[in-house]
Amino acid sequence: MAVITLHYRYLERLVGCDRATILERLPMIGSDIERVEEDHVDVEFFPSRPDLFSVEGVARAMRGFLGIETGLPEYRVTPSGISFSVDPGLASIRPYLGTAVIRGIALDEESILSLMGLQEALHWALGRGRSKVAIGIHDLDRVTPPFRYVAAERTRAFVPLDYDREMTMEEILEEHPKGRAYAAIVRDFPKFPLIVDACNQVLSFPPIINGELTRVTADSRNLLLDTTGTDERAVMTAVNIICTALADAGGRIESVLVSGSHVPSLAPSTRLVSARECSALLGVDLTPADLSLLLQRMRFAAEPAGDDGVRVTVPCYRADIMHDWDIFEDAAIAYGYENFRAALPPTFTIGRAHPAMVIASTVRSLGTGLGYQEVIPFTLTSERVMYQKMQRPDAPETLCVLHPISEENTIVRTAILPLLIEMLQFNRHRELPQRLFAVGDVVEGLATFQKSAFVSLHPAADFSEAYAVADALCRELSIPYTTQESGDPAFIQGRRGSLVANGRTVGTFGEIHPAVLNAFELEHPVAAVEIDLTAVPGYPSGQGTP
Amino acid sequence: MDLSLNEKRLLKVLETVKKGDPATLAARMDTTAESVIQFALLLEGRGLARVEKKVNTTYQLTEEGARYARDGLPERQMIRSFADRIPMSDLKKHPLSGIGIGQMRKKGWVTIRDGIVEKTGMDAPGSDEIALADLSAGGEGVALLQKRGLLCEHQETVYTITLTPEGEALAAKGLDLAEEVGTLTREQITSGAWKDLRLRRYRLETLPRKIYPGKVHPYQRLLDEMRQILLEMGFAEIYGGLVQSSFWNFDALFQPQDHPAREMQDTFFLKETVPVPLGFEKVRDMHLHGGTTSSTGWGGHWSRGKAEQCVLRTHTTSLSIQHLVAHPEPPVKVFCIGRVYRRESIDSTHLAEFEQLEGIVMDRDVTFRHLLGFLKEFYGRMGFEDVRFRPGYFPYTEPSVEPEVYVDGLGWVEMGGAGIFREEVRAPWGVAHPVLAWGLGVSRVAMLRLGLKDLRQLYRTDIDLVRETPLWRQAREIRGGQ
Repeated sequence: MAVITLHYRYLERLVGCDRATILERLPMIGSDIERVEEDHVDVEFFPSRPDLFSVEGVARAMRGFLGIETGLPEYRVTPSGISFSVDPGLASIRPYLGTAVIRGIALDEESILSLMGLQEALHWALGRGRSKVAIGIHDLDRVTPPFRYVAAERTRAFVPLDYDREMTMEEILEEHPKGRAYAAIVRDFPKFPLIVDACNQVLSFPPIINGELTRVTADSRNLLLDTTGTDERAVMTAVNIICTALADAGGRIESVLVSGSHVPSLAPSTRLVSARECSALLGVDLTPADLSLLLQRMRFAAEPAGDDGVRVTVPCYRADIMHDWDIFEDAAIAYGYENFRAALPPTFTIGRAHPAMVIASTVRSLGTGLGYQEVIPFTLTSERVMYQKMQRPDAPETLCVLHPISEENTIVRTAILPLLIEMLQFNRHRELPQRLFAVGDVVEGLATFQKSAFVSLHPAADFSEAYAVADALCRELSIPYTTQESGDPAFIQGRRGSLVANGRTVGTFGEIHPAVLNAFELEHPVAAVEIDLTAVPGYPSGQGTP
Repeated sequence: MDLSLNEKRLLKVLETVKKGDPATLAARMDTTAESVIQFALLLEGRGLARVEKKVNTTYQLTEEGARYARDGLPERQMIRSFADRIPMSDLKKHPLSGIGIGQMRKKGWVTIRDGIVEKTGMDAPGSDEIALADLSAGGEGVALLQKRGLLCEHQETVYTITLTPEGEALAAKGLDLAEEVGTLTREQITSGAWKDLRLRRYRLETLPRKIYPGKVHPYQRLLDEMRQILLEMGFAEIYGGLVQSSFWNFDALFQPQDHPAREMQDTFFLKETVPVPLGFEKVRDMHLHGGTTSSTGWGGHWSRGKAEQCVLRTHTTSLSIQHLVAHPEPPVKVFCIGRVYRRESIDSTHLAEFEQLEGIVMDRDVTFRHLLGFLKEFYGRMGFEDVRFRPGYFPYTEPSVEPEVYVDGLGWVEMGGAGIFREEVRAPWGVAHPVLAWGLGVSRVAMLRLGLKDLRQLYRTDIDLVRETPLWRQAREIRGGQ
């Protein structure tokens, strides 16, 4: 999530309103206030609104939301006369370039912080950690146009930001902190992306690091923006968001000639939406005129077009407007979520519990009736608990997670009994007897279904107790069963049995093997039963398979 | 005063002897010493007798200790075995050298230099040897021997029972020693003999032993309560697999293929794949360019292979969308409570698996206002009376809303998320009407309800939590607050 720092002084100056009013209304435009400090506030904005990742962007939106200035903000772009070429060799490396020139900017500490925060948040939200989009901002007066975006030899050297010596790009990936952090994005390419000026001086090694040469300071007056990436739409969105923020900070935006077209245009787009469709979605009667007024407060230009239509002009920085409903959500926000009269849906339907869940509930009432306590173990576990400590062979149908986060969570359980015995281990210091049961999902292969297991730990626990519980479960769940000698090594030989129903083994029961008790550090005998609930007549088949 | 027969009998004996130990008293009463202590404690509770308890500690030599008491401690035996000095290599041949050499050095009886052991002359018997000769000496020596495992301690509790003046006065008045009966027998009940029996009285002050009924886990009881509310509100319950294809978990919900949630650090991916379903092309087109809707789509590329990768479901919305695909005609009102997975490092507020409750309403003419109305009603039935709504963001809903409920002591607490399915989500399957959707991380409510500080406690159960959490608490307490 993007947490943006808003300094009050700068925010108040840009919005033209006091901080109390801004803070009160800010959550209702779609944000979470994380921390309120003496001179600033940290606010989390949604990833769908990267245009709010700067003080300038927030101020622009709040001016509309508070009714200080509504409608479309206008951004003028004049040609800079500068050109920027793109090397066709980058097509398979990092093909897209966005750029702009910003002149006459006077950056102070707060606007520099805002700009750096914006850049970082865009790298995360739009840039997917710089792989999709990376942004560089340069002091234009330190270099000579025209500029070239090229695929360069990996051994090309320059002085990277924060260093005082030349390094090759390969060295940067090995040694520079930013190089190490982002090396994976470019490491495998035969050549590396590089931006140079007319004198072959290096501005940037995107997406890794800028050159020290063009470092931006409070004295920088004219800036060059470079935005490179693998997705043209995202690259242009980043350019639009940064340029409009810098224009709001007082800069003049000038376009650059890239492959024959002037970049950026900062031109809005238009959509014709239906007031009736919006009213039907929100449940509020809105005329085209009403809808227009609401949208103007969200900084759209909007005017009625015909008896149902509204022509909406969408500013260039609104990357999230993909569909008419995205505009309707903005209308809802302008209307105010607190102003909707909530009403129950008129839909009449009859409630119905799922049969698998009804069976699970039945097992619960059976378990408690037998005097057992329910527990709810995790479904993620390890081969060690599921098989090795149980003396059972690994089951081939076990589902392994590809990148486990710890040694305790490497597989999805295929049985519940081992987890119940582990639960007894957690409760070694608690009063005896301990009788526990659980009912829940297991996965075999890709199929999810329910099992239930029972354990009883006390000095007199034995095979007869396990058999009696297994018998009670089967009788109460209407499972017609027979028994067979079991070979399950988790139980003591001669004190174990399988439950067989319709020719299929559907459960095991018996007295847990002392070696298993040792493995789980238990000191008393354990009588145990596990049963596959698909054996219960009426258990719905095939619903747990993708 | 209402004495039991046993108390009266003890009082009677005490009246004669005034004072005695349990064994002697027991012999006179034809019972055991343990029972006498029980009866005496009851009498003490009434002020009729006094029970004094004294712990006597005695020591007994272990087998090894007894041997040393006869032959001397190993170091004593060894120091006697040589004159003023001896090479270490020779001394090591002594059968007790394993213990003896160290002890001799520790006690300062010898010095060892250049492999030669030499007596210091300061080898007078220490407190341990004095104690070994006479255990009653006690003190430091006994402690040293005990530390070396040469003797063991026995503690004996000695009771002395004395009649108080009050007891004496009561006994003087005369005691009725008619027989009392503890357990009624079948014979006594059917024969009518019970009419002549004197039944022993029990004391209410003696607390019963605690028994614990078998119970459903308090967390499950909360889940059941939510299920019940939704069933009462007319929802049908759905159930499905923990393993889902990325197609149903992400693509069908219009989550772009390069979305951060689809990276391996956030989601448990599996090596297994399942084919995309019939009609997947419409979902693909939706991602690429918005299909036939007013949407632009995400652009870029769409990989079928990426959609076929299996994951442990990150939300149960994957079940909701599949239910909608199977039931595209209105009305649909379904919910699901199930385990979902996030690839999180486990700590007190994060788990890799937890329960999610979620549901959808699809019908003609349902609107955003109905979504808010449903949420208010549901949270109200859960006991959260104050509910408010803020704009939210979820990739597959538009508009989106974050409901918050007011909890005493905590303020406004975010309680799940909700929204209306984007047209991009429902259009590929011919679902023509709005779908209201909402989800809730149930564990959060459970923490509030059960007053837990650590989410892990829900799953790694302390049996005492289940035993001590009452089945029923007054609604005000359990609903909406802690």
